[in-house]
Amino acid sequence: MSFLTWPAALMAASISIPLLLLLYFLKLRRVERTISSTLLWKKAIQDLQVNAPFQKLRKNLLLLLQFLLLLAVLMAIAGPVVNFVRQPERNVVLLIDQSASMRTKEADGRLRIDLAREAARDFVDNLPSGSKAMVVAFSDRAEVVCTFTNDKRRLKDRIDSIEATDAKSRIGEALQLAVAYSSSFVETTGDAGFNPESLQIADIELFGDGRLTDAADEFVTRARMTHHIIGQASDNVGITAYDVRREIDRPGVVSVFAEIQNFGDKPVTLDASLFLDDKLKDVQQVTLGPASIATSRPASDDLLSGRNVLFEPFDHDAGGVLTVKLSRDDSFPLDNVASGPIDPPRALRVLVVADDREIAYMMERVFRDALEINDVTLMGAGNYEDAEESELAVEGRSAFDLVVLSDHDTARLFPGNYIFFGGVPKIDSLTVDGDVEENFFVTWREGHPLLRYVTLDNVYTRKWKRLNLPPHAARLVDGEDSTVMALITDPGHRYLVVAFGLLDTNFRMQPAFPIFMQNAVDYLAGGAVTDSSRLIAPGDTFTVPTPPGAQMMTVVRPDGTEEEVAVEDRHTMTYGRTREIGSYLVKFDDKDKTTETFCANILDATESTIRPNKALTLSGQAIETVSGDVEVNEPLWPWAVGLALVLLLVEWWIYNRRVMI
Amino acid sequence: MAETPAARSVASKDAQLLDPDFLARLEQLEIVSRKIHASRQKGERKSKRKGESAEFADYRNYVVGDDLRHIDWNIYARLDRLFLKLFLEEEDLNVSIIVDVSGSMAHGKPQKGMYAKRVAAAMAYIGLCNYDRVNLCAYNDRVADFRQGMRGRRMMPQIVKFLEEMPIEGKSHFAAAARQFALRQSQKGVVLILSDFMDKGGFEAGFRYLLGRNMDIYVLQILSPEEVNPELAGDLKLVDCEDEDVAEVTISKPLLDKYKANLQAYCESIRSYCMRRGASYYLAITDHPFESLVLNYLRQRGLVR
Repeated sequence: MSFLTWPAALMAASISIPLLLLLYFLKLRRVERTISSTLLWKKAIQDLQVNAPFQKLRKNLLLLLQFLLLLAVLMAIAGPVVNFVRQPERNVVLLIDQSASMRTKEADGRLRIDLAREAARDFVDNLPSGSKAMVVAFSDRAEVVCTFTNDKRRLKDRIDSIEATDAKSRIGEALQLAVAYSSSFVETTGDAGFNPESLQIADIELFGDGRLTDAADEFVTRARMTHHIIGQASDNVGITAYDVRREIDRPGVVSVFAEIQNFGDKPVTLDASLFLDDKLKDVQQVTLGPASIATSRPASDDLLSGRNVLFEPFDHDAGGVLTVKLSRDDSFPLDNVASGPIDPPRALRVLVVADDREIAYMMERVFRDALEINDVTLMGAGNYEDAEESELAVEGRSAFDLVVLSDHDTARLFPGNYIFFGGVPKIDSLTVDGDVEENFFVTWREGHPLLRYVTLDNVYTRKWKRLNLPPHAARLVDGEDSTVMALITDPGHRYLVVAFGLLDTNFRMQPAFPIFMQNAVDYLAGGAVTDSSRLIAPGDTFTVPTPPGAQMMTVVRPDGTEEEVAVEDRHTMTYGRTREIGSYLVKFDDKDKTTETFCANILDATESTIRPNKALTLSGQAIETVSGDVEVNEPLWPWAVGLALVLLLVEWWIYNRRVMI
Repeated sequence: MAETPAARSVASKDAQLLDPDFLARLEQLEIVSRKIHASRQKGERKSKRKGESAEFADYRNYVVGDDLRHIDWNIYARLDRLFLKLFLEEEDLNVSIIVDVSGSMAHGKPQKGMYAKRVAAAMAYIGLCNYDRVNLCAYNDRVADFRQGMRGRRMMPQIVKFLEEMPIEGKSHFAAAARQFALRQSQKGVVLILSDFMDKGGFEAGFRYLLGRNMDIYVLQILSPEEVNPELAGDLKLVDCEDEDVAEVTISKPLLDKYKANLQAYCESIRSYCMRRGASYYLAITDHPFESLVLNYLRQRGLVR
C-alpha cells in the first residue's frame, strides 16, 4: 500500500490530534464547587441536551469510537483501491513536442507549449507513486530534458523548463532516445537473467499536436505509445515556400516568389507585403480558399488552397534582405514572415574543361547562345591541372560559378559547383567500379529541379561508369542496378556526376540537353545569384567559406545578440544555433570585412498545419490518442477524509460543549 | 456556615435574630388570616361563630329556646316584638411557622437559613403580641422539631432559643415533613412556610397535605443572590450539598440563560400552584433587608397588617 498524499495526512494529523487531546483534557480538568442544589442545573443541562443532535449517540462513547474505527477502516479500504486498480507502477517516457507549431496561440491566449507542459505536469501528478519517468523534448533534434526518475517535483521542474523553438518536428530521434534510455533502464534494474523478448520498453507518452514531418518513416515497436492531443486552433495562413533570386539574363532585376497557403476552415483575403530592408516594395492581395481537411497524413500535397505569389520584379543592384509579411493576425504568427538575403548582381562565370574540341564547342554554344552567359572560359584538362590557383580560385573559393568537366577526373576541387560528364571528382566517398554496358535508363526523378522538363525517354548510351556513391548522394537517374546521374552535396561543394561521357550518348543531340543545362545552371550556379543554401530551415546548420585572414566570425542573431566564434578551419565555418527564425548576419574580421546573411524561415507545410492531428499514425501504425484535457483525474478521497476529520472535530466539540455544560 | 456552639448562646444570638427597636415596631403588626377559623379557645380574633363579645353583629327573631339574656329589651319596648341581639365571638388564631432547616438553607450570603429564622422569629413575635397561638416547626427530610401552642409575649425567649439552637443540615423532603406536620397540627389556622424549595422531591405533595387541612397557607420562598445570579465560570463540577449529586458543567451564556429561565419558571410554577389553591406566595432574596421585608413587603402584600 502506498500513500500518495502522506504530507497532507501528516499535516492534518498535526492539527487534529492536538485539538482532540485538548478537548480531552478540557473535559478532565473541572473545578469542584459545592452549591445549594443541583436541581436547577440538572434541569438546565437536560433542557440544552434535548435540543442537541446525536442525542442518542452522545451517551454512548463506545458507539462513537466504533464510528471512528469504521471511518478509519473505510479510508484504509478506499485509498488502496484507488491506487491499485487504476494505476499500477509504470515506467514512462514523456515526449514533448517543442517544434514551431507549438507556438500556436490557442483561444484562451495561451501558447500550445504551455498547454503541453500543463498536460505533462498533470500526467506526472497522476502517475502512481513508484513510477519512473523521463522527459524528452523534441523538434528537429531531440533532447533529454530529464532522465528516469521518480521525483515528481524534479520532473515537473524540468518540464517547466521546456520552451518552444522555431524548428520542425521530427520524432525519430526522440523515439530512438526513448527506446535507448528505457532499454538500458530496464536492463540495469531488471533481474540478472532477463529475457530480451519479454523486455517491455517504457510507455511512450507524446504531448503535442501530432504534426510530425517524419511520421511516415518512424515506427514504434514493443512499446505502448499514447498521443495526448494538445491544442485546438486551426486558423492559420502561412508562407510555405519562398525564393529570392536575380534573373539570370538580367542580373539587376530581383524577383521574389512566395507560396502562401491557408490552413484554416474559412476562406481568407490578405495582403502579402514585400519589404526590402524594412522598406515596402510591393503589396499583393491574395484570396485563399479553405483548406481541405487533411488529418491522417500531414503531407504537403494533401493541403490545397495554396497560391503562388510572384511579386513585381524590381531593379536592385545592391545587396539586402527581402522580407514578405502577411497582414494577418492568426494563431500561428511565425510562418507569416519569410525573409531571404540577396547579394549584389554578378555575371555568371562558367569554366568548361574538355579536351575534345567538339564538346568544347558545343558547350560554348549552349552557354553563350542558349543560356546567354557570356563569361565562358574554355580549358583543356591538362591546363586545368596546371593552372595557377589564382586562375581558378578567389578567396579560397572557385572563381567560377560553374565548372563543367568532360571525361576528366580531378582532385583540384575548390569550393564551388561542378558538373562531371564521364568523369568523377576525386573525393574519398566516391569510387568507380568498372563500366556498365547498358543502353537505356530505367528510372529518373522527374520532379527534381535538375530534371524538370527534361525527357530522357529517347536518350541512348553505349555504357556508363558504375558509381559507388556516398549515402548522402541524391540519385537522379538510375539504370537497372546502377546509378547514372547523382548529386553529391559536400560542405562548400556540389558535384553533379553524370556517369557517361557526352561522346558515348545521343543526349547532346536531344532538345532535352539545353534544358538540362539551363536547369543545371539555375540550380547549381543560381546560388551565385541567390544561394538557396542561404535560406535555411530553423535548426539547420549553415556553412560559410572563410575569407583569408579572418580570425573571428561574429554572428548577429535575429534577436540582435552577437555571438563570436574563433575561426579554426581554414576553409569553412559552420554555425548551428539557428533555431530561431529570422536573419543571421555573419561578419568576418578580414580586411574586406566580408559579411554574409542567412535567413531561417519555417517554410514547412507540416508545421504550418496547426490543426492538431487527432489520428496520428507512424508508418501506418495508428497511435492511441488521448485528449489533452480529459486525462486529469484528481483523486478526491483525501478531500473526503479531510472533510470527515473536520466533521469529527465539530462533532466532538458539540458533544463536549453540550455534555459538559 | 456551621456555627460554633459558643456562638450559639442565647444572649449573643438574641440581638442577632431580632433587635429591640425592630421588635417594638413589630408590636404594631398583626398576622392577617383571610379565613376566619374556629378555635377551641376564646381569643382576640373574630370568629365565624356568634357569641359573647363586645362587638355587635346582627339581630334575629327570637325563637323558643333562645337564651333570654340576649333579648334586646329596648327593641321589645319600642316594637313589642322579641329580637335577639347577636354578638361576634372572638377567638384566638393558630399561627404555624414552618422553617426549612435542610442543608441547602446553609448556603448563600447572607445565609438563607439565618434569614428564614429571622423572618420566623419576627412573625412569631407578631403572633405572640397579638395573643395568637404560635406553633413553630423546623424540618429537613422530616419534622426536626415542633413547638406548639405558645401564647403571649413571654414565650419569645423560648422561641428565639428554639430557632437559634436549630442546626441547619440534612436533606430536605418537604412532602414528608408536611405530612408529619399535618398529622400533628390538626387545628386550622395560618401556616407560613419558609423554604428555598430546593427539594428534588417536589413541592406539590407537601402543599396537598396542608391544603387538605384547609389551612390558610402563606409561602415565602427564600433564595440567595448566588442562586438568582450565579457567579460561576469555567469548567466546573457542581456538587449538591445535600445529596452529593454531581453535575459537570461548562459555564456558558446559553447555559446561564437557561438556568435563570429555569429558576424563574420554577418560582413561577410554585407561585401559580399557590395562586390556584388560594395560597399566597412571596419571594425573598437574602440580600434584601429582612426588616424591610417584614415591615414593608409582607405588609403591602397583605400577610401582616
